[in-house]
Amino acid sequence: MSSELTIAMPKGRIFEEAYQMLIEAGFKLPEEVEMSRKLMIEIPEENIRFILAKPMDVPVYVEHGVADIGIAGKDVLMEQQRNVHELLDLKISKCHIASAGLPNTEMDEIAPRIATKYPNIAMNYYKGIGEQVEIIELNGSVELAPMIGLADRIVDIVSTGRTLKENGLVEYEHIADVSSRLIANPVSYRMKNERIQEIVSRLKKVVK
Amino acid sequence: MSAIKKFEKPIGMRDTFPGIYEKIERAKRIGREVFRSRGFDFIETPTLEYYDTVGKASAISDASLFKLVDSQGNTLVLRPDMTTPITRVATSKLLKEKIPLRLAYAANVFRAQQMEGGRPAEFGQMGIEIIGDKTVFADAEVLITAIELMKEFGIESFKLTIGHAGVLHDILNDYTDHEEQREILRTLLVERNYVGFEEAVHEFGLPATKANALLEFISEATNLASIEDMEKYVRKNDGIEYMKQLSKLINAYGLSQYVSFDFTLSSHMNYYTGMLFEIFASGSGFPLGNGGRYDGLLHLFGSDVGATGFSIRIDRLLEVLPKEELKEETVCVLFDDEDFIKALELASTLRRQGARVTVQSKRGLINKEAFTKLFSRVVDLSQEETQ
Repeated sequence: MSSELTIAMPKGRIFEEAYQMLIEAGFKLPEEVEMSRKLMIEIPEENIRFILAKPMDVPVYVEHGVADIGIAGKDVLMEQQRNVHELLDLKISKCHIASAGLPNTEMDEIAPRIATKYPNIAMNYYKGIGEQVEIIELNGSVELAPMIGLADRIVDIVSTGRTLKENGLVEYEHIADVSSRLIANPVSYRMKNERIQEIVSRLKKVVK
Repeated sequence: MSAIKKFEKPIGMRDTFPGIYEKIERAKRIGREVFRSRGFDFIETPTLEYYDTVGKASAISDASLFKLVDSQGNTLVLRPDMTTPITRVATSKLLKEKIPLRLAYAANVFRAQQMEGGRPAEFGQMGIEIIGDKTVFADAEVLITAIELMKEFGIESFKLTIGHAGVLHDILNDYTDHEEQREILRTLLVERNYVGFEEAVHEFGLPATKANALLEFISEATNLASIEDMEKYVRKNDGIEYMKQLSKLINAYGLSQYVSFDFTLSSHMNYYTGMLFEIFASGSGFPLGNGGRYDGLLHLFGSDVGATGFSIRIDRLLEVLPKEELKEETVCVLFDDEDFIKALELASTLRRQGARVTVQSKRGLINKEAFTKLFSRVVDLSQEETQ
């Protein structure tokens, strides 16, 4: 009997999609999981244990090896630069990171201010194009920042663009594409290689 | 910036408390015995080195170096690794006396941390180097030493993943259009970002034959069935042949269950030129150590005799070491003022029997009960009996 595999899953919408993918890939999982307040779900038939974490925390669990593999958004991986292996693009929860601001505005010439939940991504992007900026880290409702004059631009996730539109913002620069990735802890990747490779190849077949 | 509190330490610096200290010492002792029994000689190099020599050659990123300036205005670094200083000593002096050299070390190295707290900026490393032997047998000896060391530590579940920097370099070189693409792919492999690798291959707009070969290589190499499968990706076979020989030697000695081969393995230490490997053990989320052949580093120091070696991180080793109760008797001898000499005599008798004995004046104790609780045996001379 192979050892148990711990999978860190992001709570919420991505969980549903990823869970469906695992079922499609032929894993014997209960059709309905109660997503109440449980943080851990044991699946003895598959010798799998799911832990449910905040999307931003999935790479943390995987990096430290308390989860062998996990499903994390590329945005989180880019922001945190954690030491994990990126094995497979699941092509779910697709969106992109972009800069946005009020229509027809120029960035302030001296030190444009950028509000974002992703300070590292924003900093790296503007560094890369040689623009000196001041990053203002916010934890949510980033769209507010240009509207009330806190920042010239925001850097955030855009999926349909509806939130931007509703707040009167337009997209300026496309920074990176984002989708959910299967990640693995470096040690688990070696010590449980067969099991992890099997999951990768089974999931690969159901990636759309 | 808030003021530094009195008890604070610089970022990444740690105190080693008595319990951990003993574990580290025990680990070092085992390492020392294993290495010495295999003919390796221990050496020590200075904590400070010149930035222009060791600092630049070390392959540790510039941002991770602790730098300072000496009174002559030269930039110095706290040594970020041990391999580079040892290469410096070997090429400047020791190789003239003995070749091949077998050297060992156990020392602390320093790497500045930019990330959140919790990552040590100073940590112990122990390892070996074989300098001046280019044969596959030197590499086999390095691998076998690493395996024997793991066994000697009592670690049951561990694995060495072996790759070859030269083979990977050739493959990436042959199937890309220029050096820049090769480096991008190599960096992605160092990060083990297979998704990024595939994306990059698509983005390069390479001719279909090249792109397909790279994608096939990645998928086959990560599910490697046998080393021969890699032959079709290379023009020259010598790297693959070398790995076959190495594998044969490890198998012949009956250690094959501890190794696996992965030709996508790549290291941020860009001085590796031949075989390279990483050591993993269940229990730690991070690799325990790594090693490989670094003829390239020898070139930087003007020598072409070749070298190979490995090191493990002692802090990570502690996480995977089997828990072991420290079986030692600790005795506390309590005395009143007039019994001091009696206490010393009793203590030295007990020490000869192998106990660790603390001699403590009763008058010097604030809380007798709390203090004596920490010992396995307490002798109170005024009561003349053992509790």
